[in-house]
Amino acid sequence: MTKKLFIFFTIICLPVFIIISPDWLKINGITPCWPVILLLPFSLKNSPWKSVFASILLGIFIDSFTIGNVSYIPSLVVLSLVWSTYGLHNKKIKLFLNIGLMAIFGTFFVGLSIWVQKIILYSVLRNDWFHSWSFYVLISEVIITGLVAPFFSSWLLLAYKKI
Amino acid sequence: MIQARRKIGFHLLLKSKFWLTVLFAALLFGIRWTKGAGYLDLYSILLKPILPGTAQREWIQEGENIERNIRLKLLEEDNTRLRKALGLQEFNSDQRISAAVISRSSRNWWQQLEINKGARNGVLKGQTVIGPGGLIGLVDSTTLLTSRVRLLTDPGHQVGAWIDRTKRHGILTGMGTNRPKLIFLNKNSLAKTGDAVTTSPASTLLPPNLTIGIVQFVNEKALPSPYAIVQLTASPEAIDWVQILKNND
Repeated sequence: MTKKLFIFFTIICLPVFIIISPDWLKINGITPCWPVILLLPFSLKNSPWKSVFASILLGIFIDSFTIGNVSYIPSLVVLSLVWSTYGLHNKKIKLFLNIGLMAIFGTFFVGLSIWVQKIILYSVLRNDWFHSWSFYVLISEVIITGLVAPFFSSWLLLAYKKI
Repeated sequence: MIQARRKIGFHLLLKSKFWLTVLFAALLFGIRWTKGAGYLDLYSILLKPILPGTAQREWIQEGENIERNIRLKLLEEDNTRLRKALGLQEFNSDQRISAAVISRSSRNWWQQLEINKGARNGVLKGQTVIGPGGLIGLVDSTTLLTSRVRLLTDPGHQVGAWIDRTKRHGILTGMGTNRPKLIFLNKNSLAKTGDAVTTSPASTLLPPNLTIGIVQFVNEKALPSPYAIVQLTASPEAIDWVQILKNND
């Protein structure tokens, strides 16, 4: 039963959250960084190769909901490697805040990678180096992911361990 | 024969028509002094029931509106004919697709809308999307039932625009906020705060004369070219319904 619930939550509910982006899960109109929330527990529980593979698949899935050529894949691959290595060395990750902290750093890294990719791809953004929008999005996304991740990611991590 | 002398006194004034004469004279003087104000007031009170009322004003306004609509239609037809002759984009109000916004990401890394009309309804990539207030963005991709709209505010998104007052063209570039940047193609933009920014009537990609926004700030000294900050008139954060303008080709 738990397995079925877990599969339902992972495959149906979380992608729905990404698409409908409910207002009650937003801060300043910005949604949590869902790929980080989904990838973090998987990477902590699985080997680096499995995590990298999962991060590429997840990246392809998330990229299909966005416009332009900017991709989540590079940052997610790096994060999956880091988290899976960390997970292998720390078999007992039970600290609630630990997951939140990892999600915060992960979101910051993902946001930074998107920002850099945008600057590289769109030459017009190079004329202004101070992008108020990117600071706004980055900080808001880090805060909301830091708040949401301990609940969703911990739940997913516990579910992974039970399977 | 000596007749008895009439009694002379103030009582004569009371008895005779002296006061009546004085009163009449005063009335005449009053009318003259007020330039007939009393008469005119009385005249207006008497005329009131037969004067044109609010209903009549509405009939006249309705007539004026009908006349204006007919003129507008004639001018639009004339404009379409001339634009066809010049091979420019047309703004045909009959070919619009109304769609509801089903998902909104107007403040994230990607600023986009998902709408509930897709390829099945004739939506194509690159078509113009408008909402209350003017231009919102362009269709970026379509599925069978949905379309993804890239907003004007999306960082790096560029469309051609111009200021009608100065007849100067520029490239409207999304900067992630509700205030995109209009980078002018000329050295001297002549733009002023409050100027309306619209799509160019000479555009071959976008329909002509669609409202985009209002100039908020102009930097004439910027290099390599001057730019203006434009406040968009349509707010994608609040819009639930949009219209997609079909191309006429």
